[in-house]
Amino acid sequence: MQDSIPCMAVDIFNQLVDAHYTPLFRFALSLTKNSSDAGDLTQQTFFIWAKQGHALRETAKAKSWLFTTLYREFLRGRRRAERVTALEDLGPAEADPVAPAVDVVTGMDASLVVEALQEVDEVYRAPLTLFYMQDFSYKEIADMLEVPIGTVMSRLSRGKAQLRAALARKETEARHKVVSFQNNPARKLS
Amino acid sequence: MNNVEAKFILQGYRPNGADAGDATFCAALDQTKQDPTLHEWFAREQAFDSAISAKLAHIQVPAGLREAILAGGRVTAPDTTRRSWWRHPALLAMAACLAVVFITTFALWPKAVVASEDLTTFALDDTLYNKNHGGHGAEAGALQAFLMQPTTRLGGSLPVDFAALRKAGCRAVNLNDREVLEVCFKRNGTWFHCYIAQRADFPALAAGTTPALVERKGAGVASWSDASRLYVVVTAAGDSALEKLL
Repeated sequence: MQDSIPCMAVDIFNQLVDAHYTPLFRFALSLTKNSSDAGDLTQQTFFIWAKQGHALRETAKAKSWLFTTLYREFLRGRRRAERVTALEDLGPAEADPVAPAVDVVTGMDASLVVEALQEVDEVYRAPLTLFYMQDFSYKEIADMLEVPIGTVMSRLSRGKAQLRAALARKETEARHKVVSFQNNPARKLS
Repeated sequence: MNNVEAKFILQGYRPNGADAGDATFCAALDQTKQDPTLHEWFAREQAFDSAISAKLAHIQVPAGLREAILAGGRVTAPDTTRRSWWRHPALLAMAACLAVVFITTFALWPKAVVASEDLTTFALDDTLYNKNHGGHGAEAGALQAFLMQPTTRLGGSLPVDFAALRKAGCRAVNLNDREVLEVCFKRNGTWFHCYIAQRADFPALAAGTTPALVERKGAGVASWSDASRLYVVVTAAGDSALEKLL
């Protein structure tokens, strides 16, 4: 049957999906900022593998191939080359910006941390997310994003600075919501 | 290495220790052991990174995503053939350019030359390689007599009734499903072969009424047309022999 993956490849495909669909979705979510789009992007990546990935001679490289393909598919959809260039021209990253304490971050809801991560400029967000997933070294990230190693280091530094600032804002907003809730007389009456 | 440089490098050090064996970080890590300030910064950095990583690991994948991927994968047809060299984009582009050049050249090439090539090549080869020439019957005889007159000059209209020539037994040959008649005649001791075709059968031919004389394969070939017919006269004696009849 020519319309589907051969039986032997089905097992490999299933194994790949089980091993990588979760981190791929998380990476996609940080890029797209939308769960539905992230799901689509993850599926699209695996479908491309189903069509072309069997040509990979080394299955060990399937993981980085999947992440690279997902990122390329995302970029293809976005066509934001000019935006990326503009961001690269920004001045030096702010040195050690004020960041919430680690225990504050630990106490934050995961979705709030993801929101903060999604506020980081896209050009820094991709390497930063891959870094925090801890599955890839900076060298592998450089290969995936097709940028020099020094650029990855630089983007990690700037990305972390933006993330800290975003987390600080989120934390402040959350604190204000709690305060206003406590001071709301209507709520007291109810 | 100063602390700014060390911090820059250590920002890429994963909190799970997976980079412990990477030589890139060795010098910076050593420096954290010697500089308490840097050591404190690095500890904070690692704790922060670790906390973020832990939060990312809590992101839930939508229900049904795995099943959707597996189902979609099963119906996705793989490319079972290796990408052929000729499917490379650069080669495809080159082939496309060549095709455009070829088509353009073909389109712009003078139609008369192409069309007459068809008929004159046939007439030439038939003269040189086919011994079965003819021109019989009353109509053929009349045309032969006309062509054999020393005063007859080739060009313009010849006294030809195409249908009558065919009926009178003139040699008829088939050229790509188009009928061509042939009459042979002799002038000055030299044989000439006159091929006559319906102009409607060669619509692309734009030969003029004045004969165009060329020499090919040592033979002389003259071609021209009138309103309804095309004429090609060939002689193995060369173009100089044919030129005397024009």
